[in-house]
Amino acid sequence: MASSERSSPATPAPRAVVNRRVLLAGLLVVAPLIAVLLLNLGRDPHSIRSPLVGRTAPAFALTPVGGGPAITLESLKGRPLVLNFWATWCAPCIEEHPTLVETASALRGDVQFLGVVYEDDEDRVRAFLQRRVAPYPSLLDPEAKTAIAYGVAGVPETYFIDAAGVIQAKVAYPLNPEMMAENLRKVRR
Amino acid sequence: MRVGRPAVFLLLALTGAAGAAQAQEPAEDPARVVGPPRGPRLQGAALETRADEVAGLLRCPVCQGLSVADSPSTMASNMRAQVKDLVAAGYDEEQVLSYFERSYGEFVRLKPPLRGVNWLVWLAPLLGLVLGAVVIAWALRAPRAAAAEAPANDTGIAAPDALPGPDTLPSDPVLARCVLRVRERAYGWPGGVSPAREGGPAAAPVPAAGRPV
Repeated sequence: MASSERSSPATPAPRAVVNRRVLLAGLLVVAPLIAVLLLNLGRDPHSIRSPLVGRTAPAFALTPVGGGPAITLESLKGRPLVLNFWATWCAPCIEEHPTLVETASALRGDVQFLGVVYEDDEDRVRAFLQRRVAPYPSLLDPEAKTAIAYGVAGVPETYFIDAAGVIQAKVAYPLNPEMMAENLRKVRR
Repeated sequence: MRVGRPAVFLLLALTGAAGAAQAQEPAEDPARVVGPPRGPRLQGAALETRADEVAGLLRCPVCQGLSVADSPSTMASNMRAQVKDLVAAGYDEEQVLSYFERSYGEFVRLKPPLRGVNWLVWLAPLLGLVLGAVVIAWALRAPRAAAAEAPANDTGIAAPDALPGPDTLPSDPVLARCVLRVRERAYGWPGGVSPAREGGPAAAPVPAAGRPV
């Protein structure tokens, strides 16, 4: 529509049709949604901070794969502990396995490493460990009681526990050497 | 770097020996986390019913929006078993939920407790309902108020002086032409222009039609 027609006296030019009340109401609804979106854009939706970080690690008493007396958390205090929940059916666990093996070998005597088998069969785990030997024990967790106590929601998940038994970090990804070094610094201070 | 099997077994034996001394220690005592059981010990049908109710309040952490009671996953099954153990031992609903919350956070509760920012979750729907009612009431009242202000005749139709004046035309060109046509037919005004205007200023130009109606 030509602007000259709007400016005629009989057909006043329509004002910009913006209802301020509607605009305000719309902004009130949309602005919080945009704020939430912007605040969480850089966040990984799978990464939920564990409420256990900064708190004493839940106790456990678990039997190692292959038999033997139960290993307790209490008995491991005094040294940093890397507790890795894993399974043979979990591809990312296999991916991070070399990092765990290499670091555990390099830090033997300084940092204790433990695996906890998650929803897996002992025979399969034993066969796996014969092919891919690990320099640290893996423990069986029947009924996943320890996994539940640690808030495990999938594998791999690794907890970095300091010498006093306090969880300093949780990693819910396959570990690479950089991530391993970064998190080990938190428990070796 | 690969480590020989004997070394692993030696390590296993050493670590196992270290733990053996305290192997009798319970793995994780719920009483340390949520205090001693506050309810009666349950068994049989009462236990099954109560355990199902409590499991229905817990979110399965490996599922998409399913409760521990509803999920077929192994994780949910393990959690159900643990809920049952806790309920059987006399832990009440809040203690069981708190026990799992300690590990998984508030996320594990399907009903967020009324605290902190959670108030929003509970109040927002009510607030939306009230606001919606206010908007609807306002929208319904506005035309009535306008009609009440306009003088009406017996027929309930707004009086002619309440209608837009003869000089007033809608800004929309198509509508303006329609109004002029109606005025021409209804009042017999040539071209729909009021005779009162003929001696006055020039008749309002009819906006060009955008497209035929």
